[in-house]
Amino acid sequence: MAMDKKIFTTPLIKSNPVTALVLGICSALAVTVKLEPAIVMAISVTLVTGFSSFLISLIRKTIPNRIRIIVQLVVVAMFVILIEQFLKAYVYDVSKQLSVYVGLIITNCIIMGRIEAFGLSEKPLPSLIDGLANGLGYGLVLVVVAFFRELLGSGTLYGMQIIPQSWYAAEGGHYLNNGLFIMPPMALILIGCLIWIQRCFQKDDTK
Amino acid sequence: MDTNKNSYTIIYTIVLVAVVATILAVVSTLLKPVQQTNIVVEKQMNILSSAFLAADAGNASDKNSYIQEQFARFVKEGIVVNANGDVIKSDNENIAQSDAFKISPAEQFDIMRKIASAKDEQQAQQLREQLQLPVFICDTPEGKKYILSCYGSGLWGPIWAYISVNNNLSTIYGALFDHKSETPGLGGEIVTDNFRNQFVDKVIVEGGAISHIKVVKGGAKDKAHEIDALSGATITSNAVQSMISMWLEYYMPYLQKLSQTTNAE
Amino acid sequence: MESLNLFVKSIFVDNMIFAYFLGMCSFLAVSKNVKTAAGLGLAVIFVLGITLPINYLLNKYLLSPGALAWVSPSLANVDLSFLSFIIFIAVIASFVQLVEMVVEKFSPSLYASLGIFLPLIAVNCAILGASLFMQEKAFATLGLATVYGLGSGVGWFLAIVSIAAIREKITYSNIPKPLQGLGITFIISGLMAIAFMGFMGISL
Repeated sequence: MAMDKKIFTTPLIKSNPVTALVLGICSALAVTVKLEPAIVMAISVTLVTGFSSFLISLIRKTIPNRIRIIVQLVVVAMFVILIEQFLKAYVYDVSKQLSVYVGLIITNCIIMGRIEAFGLSEKPLPSLIDGLANGLGYGLVLVVVAFFRELLGSGTLYGMQIIPQSWYAAEGGHYLNNGLFIMPPMALILIGCLIWIQRCFQKDDTK
Repeated sequence: MDTNKNSYTIIYTIVLVAVVATILAVVSTLLKPVQQTNIVVEKQMNILSSAFLAADAGNASDKNSYIQEQFARFVKEGIVVNANGDVIKSDNENIAQSDAFKISPAEQFDIMRKIASAKDEQQAQQLREQLQLPVFICDTPEGKKYILSCYGSGLWGPIWAYISVNNNLSTIYGALFDHKSETPGLGGEIVTDNFRNQFVDKVIVEGGAISHIKVVKGGAKDKAHEIDALSGATITSNAVQSMISMWLEYYMPYLQKLSQTTNAE
Repeated sequence: MESLNLFVKSIFVDNMIFAYFLGMCSFLAVSKNVKTAAGLGLAVIFVLGITLPINYLLNKYLLSPGALAWVSPSLANVDLSFLSFIIFIAVIASFVQLVEMVVEKFSPSLYASLGIFLPLIAVNCAILGASLFMQEKAFATLGLATVYGLGSGVGWFLAIVSIAAIREKITYSNIPKPLQGLGITFIISGLMAIAFMGFMGISL
C-alpha cells in the first residue's frame, strides 16, 4: 500500500507531468481562460488517463508489439469519444467551450507517455492509480493557471464576480481587467513562472 | 502464444476494431436524443433571449423543460419567407419542429455570400430565389414581436444573432448574440448583457427604408443608430455590424410588405 | 485569392503553436537546435499536407451526417461523426508509420537525429488538431483543405525554427538557475505569441 501511495503522490507535484516532465501542454492551455472548462478538462483527462492505462495494462500481454501504438491510440480514442459524447449530452455548455480540445485529449502526450512508461509493464491496479494521479497532476496545473487567468483577466472565479463592481471605471473606480491574461500567450508565461517557482524549491532537479 | 505472428496481429486488429466500434455505436445511439435536445433547447433559448423571455433560465431547476415550456408559451408562429418578402410556409403549432426552426442560418449565409460574389445579375437572382429566411412571431407581455435570425463570420469563426423587432416594425426590442470561437473577454463579449442591451430601441427601418446600425469606436453619439464597439475587438464589432446589415437587407422586403398590410388594417 | 488568404491566415493568424498551443510537446522538446527543429518542422508540413486532404475526403464521404448518401439513399440518415476522432488518428498514425519507414531508409542521419520524435508526430496535437479544425471549419473544397493543412504546417515550422534559433542564443545568457531551460522557453514562447497577435485580423 505504501508503494501505491507513492505512485499516487509523486506525479502531483514532484514529477508533475506538466511542469517537470513537460508533457501534455498541447491541448490544454487554450481551455484555461475560465475555471469551469479547465476543471471539466482536468476531470476528463484524469478519467481518460486512468482508464486507458488500466485497460492497456489488462490486455498488455496480448497486444502484438508491432501495432502497439495503434492499439493504444484506439483505446485512448475510444475513451475520449465516450467522454465527448457524455459531455455533449450532460454538460452541453461546457462541451461547446471545449470544442475541438476534447478530441485533442487523444494526442495528449501524458496519456501515451503513461501507457508506454507504466501501463505496458505494470499490473492493472497500480496502472489505474498512476494514470489517475498523472491526470490529477495535470489538472492541478490547469486549475492553477485558470485561477489566475480568470481572476486577473475577467475579475471572476467560476463565473462569479470576485473583484467588486465598484472598483471598475464604469462605477467610478480605477480598476481594469488585464486583457492580456485572457490572451493565449499569458498561459505560456504563467506556466513558465510555475516551473520557475517549482524549480526554486527543488534544488535537486538537474534538468 | 506467439503474439508476433501475422495472422494473430490481423485477427487482433479486427476484434479490437469490432469491439470498440460496437461500444461507441451503442453509447452514441443511447445519448443521441439527449444531445439533440440540447441543441434544440439552445436554439430555443437563443430565440427566447432575444425577446427577454428566458431570463430565469439560470434559476430554473430543470433548464431544458423550462425553456421548452417558455418557447411553447410565447412563440406563436414560425414562418419562412423568401427574399421577395413572401411567406412560403407558416406553422402555428409545434414551432420547435417547424420548417422555420429547422432552417440553418449557416446555409443561408453561404447562399448570401455566393450572391455577393455572383458573376452576373442572372446568377445572383437564381441564388436569391433559393434563400429561405426564418421569422418567429412571439406574443410577449409587451406585445407582438418579430424575431429575425442573423449569421456571419467573426474574427475566428461564425457569429450569429437573433433580433426581435417591435410591432411597429421599425425599432429593435431586444437582441441576442452568440459566437463559436471569438476571443474570450474581447470579441467574446458580444454575448454580454452590456453589449446586447445597447441594441434596444435602435431604429432599423425609417420611412419605409432600411437604416443601418453603425458600430462606432469611442462613444456612440447618435443614440438611435449607433452602438459602442467592444474595446479591443474591432473586427468582431465590425462583423456584427455587417452581419446585421446583410441580413436586414434580405429581410427588408418582408418587413415592408408586413407594414403595408398592418397599416391597411 | 481565397486560398492565398487562407494560407496566409493559417500561417500567421491561426498559428498552431501561438494561437492554439498545438504541438507544444515536440515544440519544446525538439527545439534545442535549429537543424533538428527544421527537420521536424518539414516532417510536420509533409504529414499535415497529406493527412489533411485524406481526412477531408473521409469526413466528407464517410463521417459527417448524411455523408453516406452517395452509397445509397437509404443510408442518408446515418451519422458516423462520433467515429471521427478514431478514424482521423488512425489515418495519421498509419501515415506517420509510413513516413518513418521512408525516412529511415533514405536519410538515416535525419532518422537518427529525430529519433523518438518521429513516432511522436503521430501524437502531435498539431496534426490531429488541424484535422479537427478542418472538420469544424467545414471547408468547401479539397483544395482549400489542403491549403489549410500546408499553411498550418508552415506556421508550425516557422514557430519551431524561430524558437530553436532563440534557444541556441540564450544558452549563453545569464538566466536565474531555476528559470533556465524550460521556464525561459515557455516565457519566450509567450512573448513570441504576443508578437504573433499583431497579425490578428489580417486578410488579403
